[in-house]
Amino acid sequence: MKDFMLIFIGDDYETLGMSPEQIQDRMGRWFAWSEKMNANGIKHDGDALLGHVTRITGTDRTRTDMASAEVKELVGGYYTVTVRDLDHAVEVAQDFPDYDLGSSVEIREVMVFDT
Amino acid sequence: MIEQKNIDHLFRHQYGKMVSILTRIFGVQHLQLIEDAVQDTFISALKTWRNGMPENPEAWLTSAAKNRVIDLFRQTDSMNERHRKWTSGTATIALNELFLDTEIKDSQLRMIFAACNPRLKSQDQIAFALKTISGFSAKEIATALLLKEETVKKRLTRARKVIVSENLAFEIPAGADLQVRLERAMEVVYLIFNEGFHSTRSSQLVREDLCGEALRLCKLILSNPLTATADVQALFALCCFHSSRLRSKVDENNEALSLREQDRSLWYQPLIHLGFSVLEKAKQGRPGVYHIEAAIAAEHARAKTYEDTDWEHIIELYQKLNEWNPSPFHLLNLATCHLQLHAFDEASRLLNSIDEDDLEQRRYLYHGLWAEYYRMKGEKSAGIEAIDKALELVSNEAERKFLQKKRQKINAL
Repeated sequence: MKDFMLIFIGDDYETLGMSPEQIQDRMGRWFAWSEKMNANGIKHDGDALLGHVTRITGTDRTRTDMASAEVKELVGGYYTVTVRDLDHAVEVAQDFPDYDLGSSVEIREVMVFDT
Repeated sequence: MIEQKNIDHLFRHQYGKMVSILTRIFGVQHLQLIEDAVQDTFISALKTWRNGMPENPEAWLTSAAKNRVIDLFRQTDSMNERHRKWTSGTATIALNELFLDTEIKDSQLRMIFAACNPRLKSQDQIAFALKTISGFSAKEIATALLLKEETVKKRLTRARKVIVSENLAFEIPAGADLQVRLERAMEVVYLIFNEGFHSTRSSQLVREDLCGEALRLCKLILSNPLTATADVQALFALCCFHSSRLRSKVDENNEALSLREQDRSLWYQPLIHLGFSVLEKAKQGRPGVYHIEAAIAAEHARAKTYEDTDWEHIIELYQKLNEWNPSPFHLLNLATCHLQLHAFDEASRLLNSIDEDDLEQRRYLYHGLWAEYYRMKGEKSAGIEAIDKALELVSNEAERKFLQKKRQKINAL
């Protein structure tokens, strides 16, 4: 089994103006995804991230603070999943709930050092 | 995990509850900030509940929303002494009391009365009630009421402005004022209900949502002995009887079905039973307009088939209704009843007494009824003339199809 990180990229929920009804519906889809992984015995863990971004760049460590709306390709959260291989990770990512909001998933394999 | 069926509209209704409670705590002048805070709280929940629901989601939401309001106060520096004291000490105990079930209902009732501020136009009242009590977004209100989102937003802003500028106490009015406000509240409930019940242009889901909200608001008003008057009970019964027929009102092609054509086996019996039992209670009080309307709806609900309908009793009720509250629509309904009894002279007398201009955009109903009159009498050319006039005036698609079907019948005479 291998670990993959699924990185969720897309607009911050706050900027989408969802109604309480839509938020509840969206939450139901996340629960459904999580439950499906549980039912298939796929270990997964992760968090959602707040919208505010603080970026440090350059040798002079310049600090830039940005609201979510100013950031292109905002990372909104991630899961780490334990699956057979990349194809399996791709299969799991099919059920990510936010494609209809224009969000996408980037799949990255977690590197393992042989010691 | 929460069962989907148990939480229909949980967030929507929780929104209304939280906005009401927080407005009661922090004051109506902070309404906008409170609504923003509640919205933020739902977004937080969406993100943080991903890995599991809290044990008591409602408590989590309410406490998070309260903290968010205080946060926003801090950010805008608008927190005064009164607010500061809520964040610590014994005042928080008193605060917690406001989150008890009966107090939540009480807060929502206060919000209903705030919405029924007599200085607001009724269209603004409806939008405001759907937003702050029912938790609809501006877009959802626009969909439900077939308006532009911008229009709804304007109405909401206008309503909020009036309510905040008056800075009225956020309370259930007393004395004579209560009666006046209660009348308005019933009107708002009935208008929301009618939007759902009569709009054949919206989807079934939207229509059921609106009728459901009207019933829920009405139930809230009934939850307090001060406001649970016989009139409100009668209104509730009326909404129950009508709601029971929601599923049978249109066919699979979204074409309107008349009472005669509706499949009565689809009428939802539990709502009819509820209607009868509440109407019984209402009858113990002084009868009003809603009593009569509920009694008419009850007659239809009682009839096993269309032919079983007790038209004589319904005619009596409409006459009384028209005495109390004269309206050309009551006369139109009376004419319809007389036609069912083949009392052609009386039907034409009533129709002739109506000034069709009073019916405004529903003038097509008047000509549609004349068409029916001629059809029943077998007068084809007069019937065609009337139905064509109705078709010329109708704007609603489902109603148009209904009239076209009738035209075919007349043409076949």
